[in-house]
Amino acid sequence: MKKIKFLIFFIIPFFGLSQETENQSIFNQFLNNLSGSVESNAQWYVDDDKLGDFYDPNFPLSDEYLRANTYLSLDYNFLKNFTVGLQVESYEPLPLLNYYPGYNETNIATYYANYKNEKLDITAGYFYEQFGSGLLLRAYEERQLGLNNAIRGGRIKFSPTDYLNFIGLYGQQRNGFKVSSSNIFGFDADIDISSALNIEGISSFNFGISYVGKHESFSPDTPSFNTANFPEMINSYSIRADIDFGKIYSSIEYSLKGKDVAYTPPSSGVPTIIEGNYFEGNALLFNIGYTKKGIGVSATFRRLENMAFYSEREYGIPGSNEFNMLSVNFIPALTKQQDYSLSNIYIYQAQPTLQLQDFAGQAGEIGGQFDLFYKFKKKTIIGGKYGTKLSANFSYWALLDATFDENQGTYDAEFLKFGSRLNRDFNFEIRKKFSKKWSGIFTYINTITDKGVTLGGPLGVQGNIKANIAIAEVTHKFGKGKSVRLEGQHLWTKQDDKNWAGATLEFNASNRLSFYINDSYNYGNDVENDQIHFYNFGGSYSKGATRIALNYGRQRGGLSCVGGVCRFVPESTGLTVNLSTSF
Amino acid sequence: MNNHNQKIKFILNLFALLFVFSLSSQNIPNAEIKTLDGDTTNLQTIATNNDLLIVSLWATWCTPCKNELDAINDEYDDWVEETGVKLFAISVDDSRTVKNVKPMVNGKGWEFEILLDTNGDLKKALGAPTVPVTLIIKNGEIVFRHSGYNPGAEDDLFEELKKYI
Repeated sequence: MKKIKFLIFFIIPFFGLSQETENQSIFNQFLNNLSGSVESNAQWYVDDDKLGDFYDPNFPLSDEYLRANTYLSLDYNFLKNFTVGLQVESYEPLPLLNYYPGYNETNIATYYANYKNEKLDITAGYFYEQFGSGLLLRAYEERQLGLNNAIRGGRIKFSPTDYLNFIGLYGQQRNGFKVSSSNIFGFDADIDISSALNIEGISSFNFGISYVGKHESFSPDTPSFNTANFPEMINSYSIRADIDFGKIYSSIEYSLKGKDVAYTPPSSGVPTIIEGNYFEGNALLFNIGYTKKGIGVSATFRRLENMAFYSEREYGIPGSNEFNMLSVNFIPALTKQQDYSLSNIYIYQAQPTLQLQDFAGQAGEIGGQFDLFYKFKKKTIIGGKYGTKLSANFSYWALLDATFDENQGTYDAEFLKFGSRLNRDFNFEIRKKFSKKWSGIFTYINTITDKGVTLGGPLGVQGNIKANIAIAEVTHKFGKGKSVRLEGQHLWTKQDDKNWAGATLEFNASNRLSFYINDSYNYGNDVENDQIHFYNFGGSYSKGATRIALNYGRQRGGLSCVGGVCRFVPESTGLTVNLSTSF
Repeated sequence: MNNHNQKIKFILNLFALLFVFSLSSQNIPNAEIKTLDGDTTNLQTIATNNDLLIVSLWATWCTPCKNELDAINDEYDDWVEETGVKLFAISVDDSRTVKNVKPMVNGKGWEFEILLDTNGDLKKALGAPTVPVTLIIKNGEIVFRHSGYNPGAEDDLFEELKKYI
């Protein structure tokens, strides 16, 4: 707080002075070199006669009903090659419900100084980075989930030629307004072989290698703990190749994570580090696709074994890290990402974790997905006047087939054998424009999800939830930006909370102003009191880089996912205001 | 109470600061983005090489984004003919869905230039919390910006575009 006050009291008088003197042009120059953005998400929670009074499990004693998460980010560019910037974050008086309690009060969250020319890019301070597809390292920001694992330290990117790229980095990972107690070292090299060797006939051929090291010191709680061979330093490696022949393209990535600790299962008391036995992890990701105009197919296979990777090992204790903090790598669920409300109730979450236990143990996941995109041509029976677009997806994920010996603290996983099924999903979407004014989208989803994935608890032993979801929407354009969109949804299942129905009506008064109302109704719930309407209504106005949205309603609890990363959130009711602008 | 007043003061100061900032026009960020072939480029370079361009930040999982690009694609040939514009559709898909970009673009028959912002560097530099974000860049300057897509907004975009021929 003090630092920010200093900053503001220092900068504002400077503006005041410069505006009234001949320094006007310097001032304008300053503004021209400055860019930034503000995002504020405020919520006024209310007590709900159906869901109960407002309650924040992270701050059980607080009665702060009105809260806002605000982000201000500023970047200033000078002398052509230099940029400095910072991000101030404010969680006042407390963070919004479901946010990591370490995001509290107002503070400078990240800052950096960067020098960049054609060959060199040097950053000191906080930075974001991703090696390959992120199987070993991804530092990124996802505000909706409260994730920001930027690394504070230094990074050098060096591109001696246009086909060679090197990255070296060192630092500690951000954790709330603090940083991790461990150190991360990273190196990545990427070569564009097709340009380097001037290979004709292929569109691209890239090859890359990465190294990620994590060092975290260890002092055992009990003096009897034998620290011989204890993995304070975890050295991990990855190789990858991408090749594109134009119509056919493929990529492969293999990562080997160094020996790391595993914990005893929560079922046998407080989890503790398994002494003396440390385990490597590995991941294999393979993708192949074919595409030409009007058609695209893509198939992905992934096998993960013990690939959870945290910058502090305690964040890997089973059940202790509900906010997904301090993850070094990025392991998203490889399933279709849907954005209708009822399609996001039963979704899959990737399972990279090793849990050594005789009953319901897990060593990782194996599976894949297949995608099809097809356009029925104009002036055919199915295509009609404007053409019809079809996309379909199939995915299947299972536990790795493995045997566990809890007493010995060991396990053995098969390479390519599928264990208990965790998720099977088939879905397709058809988009059609009927006339200049009418268009529609139809979506069908047939999904089977393991109860442990969706509701929590052990995997592969609690049974499944099978659900069918159909969604139809039509849009009518009136012209001049005016339009109306109506959407109907239904979810059928015999398990969990049974059937749901949903509908949305959206009215766009102009290109800038929209209103909507929607409802998801769990009418099939066996418990009459739980047959709840999750209604929402609101509007948004956007102009230029500014957008303001107002919403009032009841949020459904459960698994909430953004970009393949999920966490469990409680239900809540209230008024939300979202404001964002940039300059 | 004192603490409370300080916070209010702080917020007022913040708004004063923002007002001053909002007078400036937005710069084109030089955050690294990739082509589908894996080559590195940035929006500044692209803006230098093209007089008039539309930039659309989108994602394979974003329904309004796809609606917007589908709608523009239906009229794209006319737009190019009349204004000489070029559209760069920059996907913010992360490694979960980025492999779907190429087949989806071809499956839909889009004729745009496709680029990738896989770790959200450009999205962050533009200060865009949501997609779609649509920009018109004329002679290296962002002259129009809009976030979100309402059906029919492509007509307004075209009207806007014609101002810069």
